[in-house]
Amino acid sequence: MLQRLLIANRGEIAIRIIKACRELGVESVAVYSDADARAAHVNAADRAVLVGPAPAGQSYLSIPRILRAVQESGADAVHPGYGFLSENATFAAACEAAGIVFVGPPSDVIARMGSKIEARRLMQAAGVPVVPGETPDEQSDAGIGRTAGRVGLPVVIKASAGGGGKGMRRVTRPEELQEAIQSARREAMAAFDDGTLYVERWFERPRHVEVQVLADGHGRIVHLYERECSIQRRHQKVIEESPSVALTSQLRDRLTEAAVSAARSVGYRNAGTIEFLLDTQGGSREAPFYFLEMNTRLQVEHPVTEQVTGVDLVRAQILVASGDPIPWTPGSLGQRGHAIEARIYAEDPARGFLPQAGRLWLYREPQGPGIRIDSGVEEGSEVSVHYDPLLAKVIAAGETRDVATSRLMDALRRFPVLGVRTNIRFLLRVLSHPRFQSGQIDTGFLDAEDAVLTASEPAGLPAVVRAAFEAHEDRATVPGAPGNGDRDDPWNRLKGWRG
Amino acid sequence: MSLPIVRQIASGAYRVEHEDRVAIVYVAGPPDDRWAFWNGQVYRNELPHGGRVDGSARTHAEPLLTAPMPATVVKVLVSNGSTVRRGDVVIVLEAMKMELAIRAPRDGIVAAVHCREGDLVQPESVLIDFAEARPDAENRP
Repeated sequence: MLQRLLIANRGEIAIRIIKACRELGVESVAVYSDADARAAHVNAADRAVLVGPAPAGQSYLSIPRILRAVQESGADAVHPGYGFLSENATFAAACEAAGIVFVGPPSDVIARMGSKIEARRLMQAAGVPVVPGETPDEQSDAGIGRTAGRVGLPVVIKASAGGGGKGMRRVTRPEELQEAIQSARREAMAAFDDGTLYVERWFERPRHVEVQVLADGHGRIVHLYERECSIQRRHQKVIEESPSVALTSQLRDRLTEAAVSAARSVGYRNAGTIEFLLDTQGGSREAPFYFLEMNTRLQVEHPVTEQVTGVDLVRAQILVASGDPIPWTPGSLGQRGHAIEARIYAEDPARGFLPQAGRLWLYREPQGPGIRIDSGVEEGSEVSVHYDPLLAKVIAAGETRDVATSRLMDALRRFPVLGVRTNIRFLLRVLSHPRFQSGQIDTGFLDAEDAVLTASEPAGLPAVVRAAFEAHEDRATVPGAPGNGDRDDPWNRLKGWRG
Repeated sequence: MSLPIVRQIASGAYRVEHEDRVAIVYVAGPPDDRWAFWNGQVYRNELPHGGRVDGSARTHAEPLLTAPMPATVVKVLVSNGSTVRRGDVVIVLEAMKMELAIRAPRDGIVAAVHCREGDLVQPESVLIDFAEARPDAENRP
């Protein structure tokens, strides 16, 4: 068993991993930047190491600084979480060379699957269908433009090193090509230090369905069923669920088999996800599917799988990294009920989903049957401009999709976040939309329904809100009023956090 | 119509009884910028003098374009004298690892560019002045 695990990440995923460490009796080491000195994940860990200034490139993304933190803290293993260094083969190789356990696949597997171009080639060789597309030998604007012409518009331009929608641009008209190529390359350079691009055919209304796999070091690979992530904005997932309503049991069998073959063909180990595009245009219940990419790490949306399979994926990751065999045989795991996750972002849907920064004056997580919240902030936290604006994930589980949806909506209605704008209202509109409720969703859903989902609310304050504002002012301005500055009032312990 | 009955139940949390229904409303924020949350929605209080707290709700436009948040300037696509049409991308910012395209709020001519590629810009800092401003145009991207 691992002794001391350094978590090279921040926010909700760092806290999620720290909790798994606690349960397993593994010591946890957090890392943090100057901006995160008072962040929740720092307080949750057994110890914490400052790695550098706020910009991620000089802290969470800096391989030398993270490695130094590993040495200083005496950790014998590193969990990279998602994002940051999680799919960085150089980092994984450096860990291997230093005799540190990297909680993830071997570095050469990350390198192969991290090159989306190489991954396409490997999958084709393994007999897994891939999205029709092409990699231009000539990486100039003109070269990529010509490739786009051959694949046939509409296309999507992608970064070979990409992920999370970064360095990805859809092009429908020839005049959009140049700006799309240049901005995709710039974003890819900034995010991955690799501007190599490729071109894939754009499917008009596909669904995004992915399969969770888990492989140990003893040759056993199991799948943990699918997640549907069709509710996405600019390739950033917003709502994820399991099971997918688009799969028949036959299609599910074929999809999960393809995922296991894909993982086996690359010598995969630990937790990973194979993303597929499901082309439902034909209306067939046995829609064709295509390999999109493999994520060689834990996913943001892993909790929906945990809720329907009962498997603790982070615990399983640590056990596999410790050399333990997977305790389940293929087919012994089931899907029970339905789970849906909604990601709460600090962003303003009314202003083009601009990321928001600021202090959380008030933040209270709701509770309820079937509700799980994975969060990286607390009341008083500072939401920084330096990192992803994900505040929390609300995961609702229930015996049916309808039950899970109702539970999720109820939790979101009772989740006050004040101080930064969030997408909570937007999420509620998505979940109550007839197309979501009937399961008629595809990756174009949010764009198609954008006007309805982001429309501004009628101006003016409801009577109950006006009354609460007035009560709050009375309380704040009347000297000696209850709850106004009395030192023995427990509610005033939060006072110092108010902006 | 009866007046709402309000009782504080926790720090910043109020139970409001109104027309036979009970609402739990949360209020927080500095005195000049109070926010409330009720039933999944956020409300912002109007200032006593009638102005809006939220800077985005200015009533008339100024002939300039400001940064919406702290960000790095990735690309400046216009220069002094450039003619732009409403919706054209004029500046690309990067914040939180994502690119944000800042678009011209109206047709016009660029009078001055106040940032360069690589600059770190703060919210409300002026990025571009426009020479031809229409008083009825929306100021913000």
